[in-house]
Amino acid sequence: MLAALAWRNIWRQPVRSILSLIGLAFSSLLLVFMLSFQLGIYDTMKVGALGLLDGYGQFQPVGYDDDPDISRLLPNWQALVEAAELDGINTATPRASSFAIMASGDTSFGAAIIGVDPVTEPKVSTLASTIIEGRYLAKGDEATIVMGEGLVRNLGLTLGDNVTMLGTGNDGAVAADVLELVGIFSTGISGLDRQITQMPLARFQDTFNLGDNINVIALRGGDFSAVLQAAPALAHMAETEGAVYLRWDELQPEVKQMITLDLSTAMLSYGVMIIVVVFILLNTLYMSVLERTREFGGLMAVGMRPTQIGTMVWLELIFLSLLGAGIGIALGAGVTLWVENVGIQFPGMDEVFRQWGISGRVYPDLSLLSAVAGPGVIVISIIILGLIPYRRILGLEPVTAMGAA
Amino acid sequence: MQHKGNEMTAIVSCKGITKVFGKGELAVHALRGIDLDIMEGDFATLAGPSGSGKTTLLNMIGALDHPTEGEVTVDGQSLSGLSKSALSDLRLQKVGFIFQAYNLVPVLSARENVEFVLRLAKVSVAERRSRADAALAEVGLQGMETRRPSALSGGQQQRVAIARALVGRPRIVLADEPTANLDSKTTGELVDLMYRLNQDSGITFLMGTHDPRVMAHSKRHIEMEDGQIISDTRS
Repeated sequence: MLAALAWRNIWRQPVRSILSLIGLAFSSLLLVFMLSFQLGIYDTMKVGALGLLDGYGQFQPVGYDDDPDISRLLPNWQALVEAAELDGINTATPRASSFAIMASGDTSFGAAIIGVDPVTEPKVSTLASTIIEGRYLAKGDEATIVMGEGLVRNLGLTLGDNVTMLGTGNDGAVAADVLELVGIFSTGISGLDRQITQMPLARFQDTFNLGDNINVIALRGGDFSAVLQAAPALAHMAETEGAVYLRWDELQPEVKQMITLDLSTAMLSYGVMIIVVVFILLNTLYMSVLERTREFGGLMAVGMRPTQIGTMVWLELIFLSLLGAGIGIALGAGVTLWVENVGIQFPGMDEVFRQWGISGRVYPDLSLLSAVAGPGVIVISIIILGLIPYRRILGLEPVTAMGAA
Repeated sequence: MQHKGNEMTAIVSCKGITKVFGKGELAVHALRGIDLDIMEGDFATLAGPSGSGKTTLLNMIGALDHPTEGEVTVDGQSLSGLSKSALSDLRLQKVGFIFQAYNLVPVLSARENVEFVLRLAKVSVAERRSRADAALAEVGLQGMETRRPSALSGGQQQRVAIARALVGRPRIVLADEPTANLDSKTTGELVDLMYRLNQDSGITFLMGTHDPRVMAHSKRHIEMEDGQIISDTRS
């Protein structure tokens, strides 16, 4: 009975109720879209920043993250590659790396040299897709190398030139090789393009006297959440083999920090917006309670308990907020899904985005969390704060209420 | 003056009722030691000038307000010390109200307004429907069950209010200026209706009124002045 009465009461003042609904729906729509958009950017950042080179997770020797020395070898790595074939993990690719002097003629520069498996590496890293000249490493390659465009420019190289590499092997002896430049990549991140080179893993192991050993295994999955869910199992595997497993946020802590900072700032804005919406709606309802005080007195006179009247008004508030939030979620989800298909271009932001591995177009990511979190907070706040008019009604005396203007 | 109706049962009994609004120099004595019994089957009017205490006394009897001193008993139950919920239940079960401003729920139809008190009393759907329709027929509103108050005239709204007051089968119906907003023709019809209900069904009425047409029908006339009963006569 109270629910039916509450529902009808909402429509006694249709203009007022519709205005309240529009306000609620619009703020819910904004919250759904903005949160989805924000989470979408974070996902793009994570995929872009980690997908380029690191992968979504890595098996590493103990202490390698702090001191990435070639002599820190990953024990029993073939077993880890096999064991990593869990749900959610698409590919595991072995790597070995060191620092070396790259020389061409009279010019030399220091760079990181990474030995990679040409077949599995492109399934984990998007570096191969940033080749702007030549080709990426291929199966059967031996003395070949791919370099970033910055380093190529600094060394004055052109495609097909030979590069002399001089480093220190695992045994402390000189590791030297002459490699043919077969590809030039451009990631858009100048630091990477000046310092990163890749060569076939087998040749790297020979040159640096690694034998069959490697330093890390980089992993990639269909999506982040799947790899994140597999993290405890992967960590257990690594521990069993005397190694460690690093999650994405341990590989790229600066991305995690950036997301945390941005989210904190955004939460503040969302919080202010929610507070404003909630108080506007509560003010409207409180006014309505004051206007109806005389009517409440009449209801008390015919035997309705103050708790029943209070519940009826509270239900009005709950229905209104649920309806408004529901409409807002539906509209917000619709808008977000549409933008998910077309994306949003931010002219002039390409350079900034590239630093985070984001291409020019950004896409929101609608999820249950982004759809429900914002409107849910509004509804819950309204339900809790709706106890204020409820308490006022409990304090009403029939005679005073009936005498109200 | 006080009527002693030993031959009948007292539905309402007021003993030494005093009501003071405000404090100190601003205190207003609305009721001054009222002793009154309303007997079963009474069709009584409470008359007197404005500020004489009619509405205040009706509010005390209807458990809408508490006396400063004294005790009100309705159907043998003392109202002193009852909680808000208990007073609500007592009003629901034992008292029917008719107000000058009708006090109908605007979002409910005539039938739903009448049914409302039965829903509060948790009467079954089938029973409350038949009782509500019967009550509306009794007050001459057959065929208007689905109309909302805004689609009814003042007299029709007051008839709905009477039906609502009666449908719960209360021990007493209290009416505060029930005809003040109505024209003379409608007033005559409504007074006739209430009188018929009293005569035919034995329903007890106590009406606060200035209206001579209402007073003309009353079987018992109580006159108030300055918070006291100055006369209580039966015709």
